Amino acid sequence: MRSLDDVLRAAGQEGKSAVDLLRNSPSGPNVYPGVPPEYTNWRDEQQAWQKACVLFNLSFHMADLYVEGPDATKLLSHLAINTFKNVSPGRAKQFVPCSHDGHVIGDVILFNSAPNKYVLVGRIPALNWIQFHAATGGYDVKLELDERSAARKDPFGRKQYRFQIQGPNAMKTMEKVLGQRPPEVKFFHVVTMTIAGKQVTALRHGMAGQPGFELVGPYAEGDAVRDAIAKAGEEFGLRLVGGRAYSSNTLESGWIPSPVPAVYSGDKMKPYRQWLKEDSYEARASIGGSFVSKSIEDYYFTPWDMGYGSFIDFEHDFIGRDALQKMAKGAHRKKATLALEEADVLKVIGSQIEKGERGKFMEFPSAVYSMHPFDKVSVGGKTAGVSTWIGYSSNERKMLTIAVLEAEHAEPGTEVTFVWGEENGGTRKPTVERHRQMEIRAIVCPVPYAETARKVYSDSGWRKQA
Amino acid sequence: MKNLEEVLSAAGNPATMLRNSQIGAYVYPVVPSEFSNWRDEQAAWQKTAVLFDQAHHMVEQYVEGPDTMKLFTHLGMNSFANFPVNRAKQLAPCNYDGYVIGDGILFHLEENKMVFVGRAPAASWIQFHAETGGFKVKTEKDDRSPGNTKGLAINRRNYRFQIQGPNAAKVIEKLNGGPMPEIKFFHMGHINIAGRKVRALRHGMAGAPGLEIWGPYAEREEIRAAIVAAGKDFGLKEVGSRAYATNTLESGWIPSPLPAVYTGEKMKKYREWLPASSYEATGSIGGSFNSANIEDYYVTPYEMGYGPFIKFDHDFIGRQALEKMAGKPHRRKVTLAWNPDDVVKAWRSMLESGDPYKYIDLPLSNFTSASYDRLTANGKQVGLNMFSGYSYNERSMLSLGIVDADIELGNEVKLLWGEEGGGSKKTTVERHKQIEIRAIVSPVPYAKQARASYHEGWRSKATA
Repeated sequence: MRSLDDVLRAAGQEGKSAVDLLRNSPSGPNVYPGVPPEYTNWRDEQQAWQKACVLFNLSFHMADLYVEGPDATKLLSHLAINTFKNVSPGRAKQFVPCSHDGHVIGDVILFNSAPNKYVLVGRIPALNWIQFHAATGGYDVKLELDERSAARKDPFGRKQYRFQIQGPNAMKTMEKVLGQRPPEVKFFHVVTMTIAGKQVTALRHGMAGQPGFELVGPYAEGDAVRDAIAKAGEEFGLRLVGGRAYSSNTLESGWIPSPVPAVYSGDKMKPYRQWLKEDSYEARASIGGSFVSKSIEDYYFTPWDMGYGSFIDFEHDFIGRDALQKMAKGAHRKKATLALEEADVLKVIGSQIEKGERGKFMEFPSAVYSMHPFDKVSVGGKTAGVSTWIGYSSNERKMLTIAVLEAEHAEPGTEVTFVWGEENGGTRKPTVERHRQMEIRAIVCPVPYAETARKVYSDSGWRKQA
Repeated sequence: MKNLEEVLSAAGNPATMLRNSQIGAYVYPVVPSEFSNWRDEQAAWQKTAVLFDQAHHMVEQYVEGPDTMKLFTHLGMNSFANFPVNRAKQLAPCNYDGYVIGDGILFHLEENKMVFVGRAPAASWIQFHAETGGFKVKTEKDDRSPGNTKGLAINRRNYRFQIQGPNAAKVIEKLNGGPMPEIKFFHMGHINIAGRKVRALRHGMAGAPGLEIWGPYAEREEIRAAIVAAGKDFGLKEVGSRAYATNTLESGWIPSPLPAVYTGEKMKKYREWLPASSYEATGSIGGSFNSANIEDYYVTPYEMGYGPFIKFDHDFIGRQALEKMAGKPHRRKVTLAWNPDDVVKAWRSMLESGDPYKYIDLPLSNFTSASYDRLTANGKQVGLNMFSGYSYNERSMLSLGIVDADIELGNEVKLLWGEEGGGSKKTTVERHKQIEIRAIVSPVPYAKQARASYHEGWRSKATA
């Protein structure tokens, strides 16, 4: 089987860059299999996470990598921008590896269950990077990968179920199902509890300031645990969240799910490209949207871009350290939420029922149509940043996007222009029908998009003038 | 509770029960929601060619034995005088009062062997009479695939594909390795696919010939791959479940009349036979038409456009009632083209505070098993809206409904979208308000000609 490097070189011989390849990839957006599109309806499912409580089923769309052995901490620490000083059994953290040039490869959640014993959960690029180093770096570790459902022959043969219970009534529901108050435990610490007679590993989590839990256990016990929680949550307005609403949750919480793994360029990354197969996530990844650059590196994010600047620990040695140290002194882009202007959104969706060229169809609630959405955000005709996730929130009654903006344009209240759709009628991605690009005015808002943002910034700028 | 009759006794009013059903959306199962994207998939059936995967959403009801023809003659209003092996027909059985129970396609497979393919209600009605009517027949049912497979293996008896669209004949020729076999409309024959002789029903859409093919489920991927490969040069697209159900908005078949089984002493035996888990006992009604009398949701074959099928050349259930109806004026089936400004007004409410209008999902906008919305003109009810969605081809929200005989093509009616009082308790219904949407009464099928001649209306008025 060819490697990613072979794929890129073959494309190069035809005059195609990595950008051309990814922007015309046949891969659609990440899928959320195993759960129905809607348990009830996505509007009520969205509202439940802000007003009552929800059960997310995360058992299918993420990969789990088990890392164990005398060198496990050494390996992971060598790859992470984060410190491992505060990692101890029973704790979890967001694990962010970078390329040698200091660009993000991915981010996943790392659970430490015992000394030198870890499981990392998330999109596959970060996990591939760990596997590469484990295989080639001379570490004494044992790895086991449990792939996401969409990438396996037995989609439902997962090792573990993974649920989250979130929302303002999450703790009431937990108390009911446990028969006692949930144990007091710090954020991102793990405890063990019993639900429906099954032992459950619970990570203290939270959303928009409201405490919640992530619950994990053997896959076969998932139905019993879920049913017990759903029943306990009935009186607290609990809703199961389907595939349509699920991926729009991050628009309100502000996490960027989809950095382009920074692996397509750089001589030092070449051995990795030779190791990655042509059927890997990286070789099949798609980029969609109005942001076009010849250089794939313009699609990479630094940790600061994604809001992970504070995770960087220069006290330890890790891949990318030198590059990040140089970057540290310079200017950084900032993550922001964009609230799209109602009248312009209506022009896009209204174009579906008018004569003339239509805008790119704007799907509800998630309007993401590739694995890595990259839309151009500009101010006064000049690029001010990119937008990387888009969808509708029925809680906020708005189309929202998560953007990475140059600092001078990232101030809440700034008016920017968001370009929706692709150039020249659209790329060859199967998810892209022929369309015309349309500009949408937007207001820069904080991350997460909180009530303060709505109150303070909704009366500013063109709205006030109009 | 064991059966529909018991469920109804416990519930009281059947209309209230069905309007607050907790079943959820009517799902088109297993098939991926989109293969490419639903806009291009819709465009392909009008401009190039499509592959519909119909293996999962319909029930197959087999009947075999010496009385097979006798059974269907007893249930069907159609004439069976000329129905030899290798023919198919649309079967729309009625209840004793002449109201539609359901409809689907009946295939005459072999001497004394037929299969009915369609939604559950007509299939169950067939099975009931086969089992209880003293007919010398055996039945076998192959139920539709589950809505949420939960990782369980799916094993239907047959795959069932349709190849349709203006390029369908070319795709079929290429598959067949020779000209498309000459099979008359709704006759059956064979074509060759990947070295296999495959049974085919001559079908068609908007005047272009097409085929429905079926065979052992295990062979489905091999057959699919051959069709996709043959269709590559002809712009063939596989159609996902989101686009699939909207095809009928352009072709004009109403898939979802409420089965007329909830009332009538003569139907009681059937209600006692229907399990409490049946479509009839669990399905949902939704929309702005709200009557406490379940019979107000029943439709006649004339209203569904099946009047020409009715042949009083044989005795069948509902015959006397239909004979009485025959001479009277009937409501008739039409397409409704929604006013774009009103549609945008509904969408705008999603971006404003306060209760929004009922969400209009695209491309299929139904939120129940059986949709019933009020159609009015000058404040008076003039019909029912029964199936709604968006056509990328026509750039319009379209729906299918039935209107009073005096409503003419080109007339403007008002479609009330959403449910009263903030909405019923159905899981698919968020709190919302109702909106009146203007709509132009248009022909079925909604053809180009219709667009040309009937789009004057508000559009020209608005600019004048």
